[in-house]
Amino acid sequence: MTNRERALNILHFKPVDRMPAVHFGYWPELLTEWAEQGKIPKDLAVGNYDGSEKERELDRIIGWDFNFFRAVGSNNHLWPGFESKPIETLPDGSVRMQTFDGVIERVKPGVTSIPSEDDYLLKDREAFETLYKPRMQYFPERVDLEFYRHFNETRQMDVPVGLHLGSVIGNIRNICTVMGMSYLIYDEDEELFADIVDTYAEMQYKCAEAILETGAKFDFAHYWEDICFKNGPLLSPEVFDELCAKHYKKRNDLCHKYGIDIISLDCDGVTEKLLPTWVENGVNTMFPIEVGVWGDQFEPARKKFGKEVLGVGGMDKTALRIDKAAVDKEIERMKRLSELGGFIPCPDHRLMPGTKYELVQYYAEKIKEIKI
Amino acid sequence: MSEGILLEISENLQRGKAKVVKELIPQALEAGIDPETILNDGLLAGMNVIGAKFKEGTAYVPEVLVAARAMNQGAAMLKPYLEEAGVTSIGRACIGTVQGDLHDIGKNLVKMMLEGKGIEVIDLGTDVAPETFIQTAIEQDCQLICLSALLTTTMGVMADVVKKAEEAGIRDKVKIMIGGAPVDEAFCELIGADKYTPDAASCADAAKAFLTGNA
Repeated sequence: MTNRERALNILHFKPVDRMPAVHFGYWPELLTEWAEQGKIPKDLAVGNYDGSEKERELDRIIGWDFNFFRAVGSNNHLWPGFESKPIETLPDGSVRMQTFDGVIERVKPGVTSIPSEDDYLLKDREAFETLYKPRMQYFPERVDLEFYRHFNETRQMDVPVGLHLGSVIGNIRNICTVMGMSYLIYDEDEELFADIVDTYAEMQYKCAEAILETGAKFDFAHYWEDICFKNGPLLSPEVFDELCAKHYKKRNDLCHKYGIDIISLDCDGVTEKLLPTWVENGVNTMFPIEVGVWGDQFEPARKKFGKEVLGVGGMDKTALRIDKAAVDKEIERMKRLSELGGFIPCPDHRLMPGTKYELVQYYAEKIKEIKI
Repeated sequence: MSEGILLEISENLQRGKAKVVKELIPQALEAGIDPETILNDGLLAGMNVIGAKFKEGTAYVPEVLVAARAMNQGAAMLKPYLEEAGVTSIGRACIGTVQGDLHDIGKNLVKMMLEGKGIEVIDLGTDVAPETFIQTAIEQDCQLICLSALLTTTMGVMADVVKKAEEAGIRDKVKIMIGGAPVDEAFCELIGADKYTPDAASCADAAKAFLTGNA
């Protein structure tokens, strides 16, 4: 069987010869660390991104089968984006930067972390109409139609490849910031926030539609959201449902029309309270199910929604920083989850600095021994 | 009359209606309600309700953020009256995201919730060195040091802060509280911090308990 057949069979509750060894990429700092330790060639530590040829070479060296996060899409965000530029350097050496999204972030040279958000542009109707709405419109150049017309002949057939549907709320959260989003929804202009979500979603829908109309075939479709954290969602489930449900349904109905029946969604954090909206509107695959740092879980979702919910992820990646016993414990847990069907084990996020190369090799080897 | 307007302040604060809260506070003052009562029975009462809902999972981050903003804006209006009346905070905390980590949403949330308990907060920002926490605690006479981390790669800095507090001889004078995605009770115990709390509202409750001797 190919890894594509293995993955698709598992997600359709069909038998496979073995479990594929699936991962979700790395922090760049980890690859640098491994290169400095002499574990991997130095040239594989640079320019290595999801699905790249370098990553595939690294997969072969380590023993992975593939990175699940392999989805192609369109230019379906702000176009043009705002100029990324430094605004000022602060006395402590940190730099205030305007980002592609029009957010003012504070970054610090030498510090690897998501930056602090200092300010943002999208605060009112005028900013939306003049600065953002024109950047959220659909136009044909957003989609490389020529690429998709030849997609079925040129795509890799040995691994699953998905259609990236974009994001209904995650990118809006990035543009408005968590605070800005909260103020707009609850105090300042709820109608404006709904307009922002609707405008952006319509553009993303048209991009997906244009791709699918070319006849390109995909194994799955995929969203990115990251709208939850340790204590649950970053907005109330009721507001989320009211603002977003219709957009998931419309986009997922489109996918179903073109034969795509696996629709995954990447959301960090504890996703339980938003799952009903996702599942009821056609999203059926949880990813990456962050059990280690955040405490998300697959089993309760399966109990609640039955086989309507599939999963890719759920392996506590922090075990790969400890020892073989910790990894063995996770593999045993992965065996039990795999027996439920419709579940592919995968580290629950990108492998971080301090992850032990030999333990990753060990995990990749042992996970393939799972028979289902 | 006074109960009605205080309830209105509390309810509008819970809904995050900062503008309405700011309109109601002068009305309450004009009605002869003393500023400390407005603070305690209007603003802080509202924050207590939203904090409890957040802890039990029926309110979410945005609701807390907008309520906290309403409280902060209301409290700023009351500040001169409170100072005039000699009302002081129940204690002082310094807070920051530890060195190497620039995340600040959780830290900001905790800061607002602490203020919602009547605690004065010195915000050291993000990427804060252990020495800065200690120096601030000494110079500003803080009874609490609150540490936030979102990364597994930076949580170790919390242990450095505890160690530096011991070295500086202030360990018995300050309570060190920790929070953030990668940390838990066991980690708190391991590094010798005083308290781990799973969310911002619990942190504010625990901080108040420390400061009022009810821990």
